[in-house]
Amino acid sequence: MATLHMLSHSPFSDSRLSSCLRLLGPSDALLLCGDAVYALQPGSAQRQALELMPSSIGLFALDEDLNARALDGPQRLQVVDYAGFVELSCRFDKVNSWL
Amino acid sequence: MKFAIALFSPPHAPSSRRALRFAQAAIAGGHQIVRLFFYQEGVHSASSNVVSPQDELDLTGEWRDFVHAQQLDGVVCIAAALRRGVLNEQEAQRYARAAANLEAPWELSGLGQLHEAAQLADRLICFGGP
Amino acid sequence: MSKSLLIISRQAPWSGPGAREALDIALAGGAFDLPIGMLFLDDGVFQLAPAQQPGALQQKDLSANLQALPLFGVESLYVSARSLQERGLHEQRLSLAVEPLDDAALTTLVARYDQVITL
Repeated sequence: MATLHMLSHSPFSDSRLSSCLRLLGPSDALLLCGDAVYALQPGSAQRQALELMPSSIGLFALDEDLNARALDGPQRLQVVDYAGFVELSCRFDKVNSWL
Repeated sequence: MKFAIALFSPPHAPSSRRALRFAQAAIAGGHQIVRLFFYQEGVHSASSNVVSPQDELDLTGEWRDFVHAQQLDGVVCIAAALRRGVLNEQEAQRYARAAANLEAPWELSGLGQLHEAAQLADRLICFGGP
Repeated sequence: MSKSLLIISRQAPWSGPGAREALDIALAGGAFDLPIGMLFLDDGVFQLAPAQQPGALQQKDLSANLQALPLFGVESLYVSARSLQERGLHEQRLSLAVEPLDDAALTTLVARYDQVITL
């Protein structure tokens, strides 16, 4: 089963991203919302960790959160709006939010 | 697809607005929402007492209007609500509290409603945190 | 057939109602005869530490609810071996019988369930 993992906490003061990365299966994906988009901050170890994920793992971010923070992602990042977010939740077998 | 949406955060958390925007997009996309279930700090997102400045987002109002307009089943976990001081008229009277702060369309009920929704839905989506 | 639900509990026992409210979800599911699994991860493993004294904080004893899990039919109980090790806790000295899993086994565990709530 492929799981879409959703994160909204900043990875700099929180262990959810690192715990999530250890749990990811090869066909899983990560959706960054809220402060979790700070993981895309250039020059950070977190950004590097995301770039180093196996290419089979999808990396998504919510457009409004990227725009609010003036962030860009690596090439592998796919930006979604809410319609895209809904589509992702249908595409993957389940959604795991790291509350 | 049928969605069960669970909210764990209060109205000032960005995730509460995110949950609402997701729910709205799901309906706009032709999907169904089996139930909204508010748990933990999410019970505050159903409060009828939140006062937002006129130039700011009235999220509890938006949630309420959305549930009314789409005729959704909006359930607030009773145990989580009581311990956080979110009471409807019945509970306020039962516990002799001065005021109620939970009104229609929100219903107080137990975790069984979350489980039932999860079983009925194709997808369970939880929102919480920032 | 019922959908299975994995609850991943990451909160330390006395950091607020999080740990208790995660358990409540599991117990409610068990009461309805649903296939529920529970994984203790990160600070959630502290819920399993032995000899806790919640009375000192005027809190309810969580371990009573934990012990109730198998009674409510929730017998699929897991703990992250890494989280235990990071926190100096030992598998043999936990307050609940749980199966320790390494990271690879955790990936498989999550993949197996129809739904998951991580709180």
